[in-house]
Amino acid sequence: MKKVLKRLTALALITTVLITGCSTTETSAPAASKGTQPAQSPEIAPKESGNEQITLKIISPTIVEKPEGEVEQKFANDFMAKNPNIKIEFIGVPMNEVYAKIITMATGGDMPDIFVNSPEFYAKAYEMGLTEDLNPLLGPDYVKGFHPATLKEAIFEDELQFAPFFTIPLGLLYRKDWLDKEGIKPPVTWDEFIDAAKKLTHTGDDGKKDRWGFAMVGSKNGSGGSRFIPIMRTFGAAELVQNGKEEWTTQFSTPEAIQAFQLYGDLVNKYDVVPPGPLQTSYAEAVSLMASEKTAMMVTGPHSIGAILKQNPALEGKLAGAPLPHAIGKNSASTLGMLGFSISAKSKYKKEAAEYLKFILEKQNQLEWNKVTGRFPTRLDAGSDSQIKSPALEGFLQAMDFAFQIPNVPYYANVQVAAAEGYQAVIAKQGSAEDAAKKAAAIVETEIKNNK
Amino acid sequence: MRRSYAYQTPWTGYWFISPALLTMLALIAYPLFFGIYISGFDTNLINKWKLVGFKYYIQALSDPDFFYKIGLTFKFAFLVVIGNMVVGTLLGILLNMKIRFRLFFRAVLILPWLFPEVVVALLWKWMYNPLYGLFNYILEGLHIINNPIAWLDNPDFAMFGVVIACIWKGYPLVMILILAGLQSISGDLYEAAKIDGSNTWQLFRHITLPGLKPVLLVTVILETVWWFKHFTILWLMTAGGPVNATSVISIEIYKIAFSDFRFGRASAIAVLVFIICFAISYLYRRFMADDAK
Repeated sequence: MKKVLKRLTALALITTVLITGCSTTETSAPAASKGTQPAQSPEIAPKESGNEQITLKIISPTIVEKPEGEVEQKFANDFMAKNPNIKIEFIGVPMNEVYAKIITMATGGDMPDIFVNSPEFYAKAYEMGLTEDLNPLLGPDYVKGFHPATLKEAIFEDELQFAPFFTIPLGLLYRKDWLDKEGIKPPVTWDEFIDAAKKLTHTGDDGKKDRWGFAMVGSKNGSGGSRFIPIMRTFGAAELVQNGKEEWTTQFSTPEAIQAFQLYGDLVNKYDVVPPGPLQTSYAEAVSLMASEKTAMMVTGPHSIGAILKQNPALEGKLAGAPLPHAIGKNSASTLGMLGFSISAKSKYKKEAAEYLKFILEKQNQLEWNKVTGRFPTRLDAGSDSQIKSPALEGFLQAMDFAFQIPNVPYYANVQVAAAEGYQAVIAKQGSAEDAAKKAAAIVETEIKNNK
Repeated sequence: MRRSYAYQTPWTGYWFISPALLTMLALIAYPLFFGIYISGFDTNLINKWKLVGFKYYIQALSDPDFFYKIGLTFKFAFLVVIGNMVVGTLLGILLNMKIRFRLFFRAVLILPWLFPEVVVALLWKWMYNPLYGLFNYILEGLHIINNPIAWLDNPDFAMFGVVIACIWKGYPLVMILILAGLQSISGDLYEAAKIDGSNTWQLFRHITLPGLKPVLLVTVILETVWWFKHFTILWLMTAGGPVNATSVISIEIYKIAFSDFRFGRASAIAVLVFIICFAISYLYRRFMADDAK
């Protein structure tokens, strides 16, 4: 009996191993670069929708945010009203988790028709064969209607990876009314920023601080890292640069980068202008600090204005933006913070998906998106409208002039996390700024080496 | 000739267990073997399958950071298991006594186990919040502290903060198992011991604990393996931070798989964790079974 049981168990395990080994047949060929052939799945012929009822699935991070989600749903409803045979179905995932979700869906063979994409992710998505070239789908004349700066960060290997939907240039968001009351101008240098933050930090009658100068996003994720890296650039150090041989190197261990790490540590530990708990403060928490009038300044994009006003409408007219401060003798820096939508290479409804993208990129929709959320349009016709040049958004428009292109490497997210680990170590007094900078540099150098 | 009934009977049992066996093969064996399979590839699971053999195993075993995180994981699992066992056993023993409102206490004390881990993590994260959290509110109200404490920002405390949340979540299971085990200890033994003049501690030491040993063995094995590979509460409360103070191996595996998209390397580390958990289970059974003999 025991022998029979053992044989049966062995047979079951062998069967499982065989099934496991054979289950990867769809993609079990060696890596094929996108330039030659996409993923080894059979070519999916685009379908003509006609009167056929189709569902377009869209994975979007903004659909779960407020007030963005309401506007995005309205666009979908308006499109569905104009196209009764098309149903739009959103898959909402927060920004910090959306790329993991996309990859998971891709590995499961369940890619949506449209998915969010960005300069930080598009190289990885291209490498995995997820994206369809949008040039033929949108048409060359239509593509020319995008702002050139946005196209520059959306094209990879001569293919338009995603249709840029909005930009959120990174700058300094501040309480205009508080700065005016204290007689402070928007800071231009980091020394001026520290002075402003100190003046804007208040102690109440009970001897406890009830307001702080700066809402630092100090979490160890893309939210934090994507804010620190432009700040580091304002000191003159870049997270990744290409040398003469077009090889990537890092400047994380330079004296300029060390100054940036030191600034983060000093803001928390020396000047005490940051609310307690910065290492647990991600973007959402920082927005809440601004909305609850606990902090005066925040490094973010214009989209935060909409999010803050959603929580506290009384702050209407009291928020404004400015380019990031910079070290003396250096320049400000910014990122476009662009997000767009790609069409999946495996979508059966590419034509319909392209129609939806064109719809949400129409001028009136881009302006409505900007009005409610503060995010800037990417189409030239909407971008030249006077609505974009409002006092609250003017500073962010200026910040766009200092925008640098995100290095198109598939490991960029790891570079952001390496930066985040570094500033966390300095803030938590686990090491000096020099040690943190060296460690971040070592991590990035390993990534560069592993991806050669 | 018709086979005898006695010869046919053994096969009936196999037919009965076949649905469960097939489910286990599909849900346990298949993912396990698939994980082992992909650990030999540099793969993104879509269009990149480069055979690397044991490269990722060698990389992990020669990386000091891997051993640091394994050590951290052992520390986390050890603290949580000890906490769960102590709290769960004490409460189990208390609830086995004839106390007033025993049923009510049993119902209330089991509640933490019913909460989803996501809810537990967010609740505790909120309680630890430096500005709006319950702990600082109470401590400041009692004038024990003057300024709010950023509990989870402190690398020295963050691990203990997460451990406390995990103990709060995990003790009810131990409590139930211990309670069930206590029911199986005969009351005659206690009566006889009392007649011989044993005090409470002696009763616990010489009757309760030996009687609970089989239950304790199973509970400790389950608890150790479960908390060794735990992810949810740690990820939601601290995401492995601050710095790397709570960066246990499960978080490392998640990051390698879903931030770096290096599924082969993540699977290799996961296989190593499986081997460690298997070894823990074997050692526990070996040592505690020897004691029982």
